[in-house]
Amino acid sequence: MSNSNAGETVVVVREVCKEFRRDQLTIPVLSGINLQLSEGDYLALMGPSGSGKTTLLNLIAGLDRPTAGDVIVCGQNLGQSSEGELAKWRSRHVGFIFQMYNLIPVLTAYENVELPLTLTSLSRRQRDDHVKAALEVVGLQDRMDHYPRQLSGGQEQRVAIARAIVTDPTLLVADEPTGDLDAKSAGEILELLHRLNTEFRKTIVMVTHDPNAAARARRILHLEKGLLVSEVVSSRAKESVQ
Amino acid sequence: MIPAKYNLRNLRVRWMTTLLTVVSTGLVVWASVLCFGLTDGLQYALKVTGHELDLIVLRKGATDEIGSGIEQKVAREIASLPGIAKNEQGQPQCSVEFVTILTKPRRNSGGTVNLIVRGLESIGRTLRPGFRIVQGRDIEPGKFEAMTSRSMAARFENLAIGEKIEVNRQYFEIVGYYEAAGSAAESEVWTDLRDLTIARKTPAAVSAVCLRAESPEQRDALTTVLAKDKRFQLNAIRETKYFEDQMNQANAVQYIGYIIAGFLIFGAMFAAANTMYAAVASRAREIGTLRALGFPQGSILLSFLFESVVLCSLGGLIGCLGTLPFNGLSTGTANQFSEITFSFRFGPRVLAQGVMLALVMGLLGGLLPAIRAVRLNIITALRER
Ligand SMILES: Nc1ncnc2c1ncn2[C@@H]1O[C@H](COP(=O)(O)OP(=O)(O)O)[C@@H](O)[C@H]1O
Ligand SMILES: [Mg+2]
Repeated sequence: MSNSNAGETVVVVREVCKEFRRDQLTIPVLSGINLQLSEGDYLALMGPSGSGKTTLLNLIAGLDRPTAGDVIVCGQNLGQSSEGELAKWRSRHVGFIFQMYNLIPVLTAYENVELPLTLTSLSRRQRDDHVKAALEVVGLQDRMDHYPRQLSGGQEQRVAIARAIVTDPTLLVADEPTGDLDAKSAGEILELLHRLNTEFRKTIVMVTHDPNAAARARRILHLEKGLLVSEVVSSRAKESVQ
Repeated sequence: MIPAKYNLRNLRVRWMTTLLTVVSTGLVVWASVLCFGLTDGLQYALKVTGHELDLIVLRKGATDEIGSGIEQKVAREIASLPGIAKNEQGQPQCSVEFVTILTKPRRNSGGTVNLIVRGLESIGRTLRPGFRIVQGRDIEPGKFEAMTSRSMAARFENLAIGEKIEVNRQYFEIVGYYEAAGSAAESEVWTDLRDLTIARKTPAAVSAVCLRAESPEQRDALTTVLAKDKRFQLNAIRETKYFEDQMNQANAVQYIGYIIAGFLIFGAMFAAANTMYAAVASRAREIGTLRALGFPQGSILLSFLFESVVLCSLGGLIGCLGTLPFNGLSTGTANQFSEITFSFRFGPRVLAQGVMLALVMGLLGGLLPAIRAVRLNIITALRER
């Protein structure tokens, strides 16, 4: 089902269950999820609100650990990693794109993009090169001294994407990246993600409500009541097969 | 490490709360540094006044010079005891002194105060640390002249050069100002021993004898000799101890000061903690984002502690700067009978105490909020707002 020129396996989700405990109540959110993604895959996760999309994404991104089952991403078994190990692993392998952009308001676009690089051993010069390159990919070199409040929503999200790719991670996770944007800006963001997938061979997992957005992915998965109910190969993937 | 500008700019963005917290910690540091400076000045005055080798000889049973009376003939004999240090001219450093208390008005009608007037001979000057005339001249015996320190002249009526001070209807003209390294002598008016006893009409009696021993052993030996002599009926007290006892009252005031300062510090720490709790609460999603990007819990802790320390240090800096106008300013504190004049002293030690105080307030006040920031669950934090 995955694309023909599949590379290395990046994500393995095996028999994963996730429950949340609130007071004495146990809330089962995911029950028995299986999923595999190879390098260069682009997956859209769809499903009704509250179906567990964000929860699954968080597990794949190493923000949370499964109650049962294995999540192995970029060779690391995330369920068996400590908090500290997960932090280090995330900084190396994952780029985050959030619905509300989550830029740091007191830092300029440049400084926001530079932030993940302060966790690396790169020199100031090298960081500068990386930041400028990332801002160029998203087309915002001329806005690097602007603060988030001086940017439009679409521009903020592009800065956030630059921040996500500046460390050159294998995996990009995006939780409703166009959920807060107008159609035009959303189109630009989707175009950018498409480029990152095809040109830079980033593996992408995107949660979305928007069928148009999902159509840009190579694969679409539907979550319902904690289960993966169907796997749809998107029109784009079908095109690429033909 | 999360860059420092992240914290500094956040402090600037919420400048209102920053300002309020800086002002409250600043006030506390200011008050505490003033208190430290005062204590330091007082302790300094006491330290330079009390010489390790010096003894004050009083009548048996007396605890201070005012309550002591010695027959002048007996007092003169003490100088011939062995073990007393000699000056360059070979005279024993043993000074017969007469002390009297006058009630005199402060300048600018600030009420009255008990003033110590001391009659002594020239040898007495060598027993005071760093004694020198800084304006006018020294007194001449037999002419009913007097001298005092500059700060006394500024604080009390009739003590400026050219003015006259009255003792028992005898006028003493002020002819000079002296310094004595900030010691208690700077809180007194000095005149000639004979002139003062004449004015007081007690020519046969003096108050005390101050002397310097050659060594600590000789000092202790002299103390024993004087205490044992049934004929003399005298008691020798170490000068260091004498001044400490004299300042007991001032010490009590000082402790009350410390207690009040303690409460204030506690209050300011709460103000800082409160500000930082608000900061953590309003930046939950930012904290979640930083964690997601891979910043470890330790750097979140350090970041918020740093912010709190900067906040309190700004207050500390302003507090310390605010004490500078008081540097060297002299004031008085009551001891049992009179006033001792001394100056605020803001040496490096006092300022370091102020800075330390600010740092401690920042660290302790910021600790719990920083721990809360660290313990935020990433996923819940990312869901905020
Ligand atoms: N930290 C949590 N504690 C308790 N319940 C949670 C937590 N996170 C998510 N849930 C619950 O799990 C379910 C799925 O949430 P989520 O994965 O955010 O859904 P989606 O992203 O598909 O809208 C919801 O019912 C939500 O209330
Ligand atoms: Mg969601």
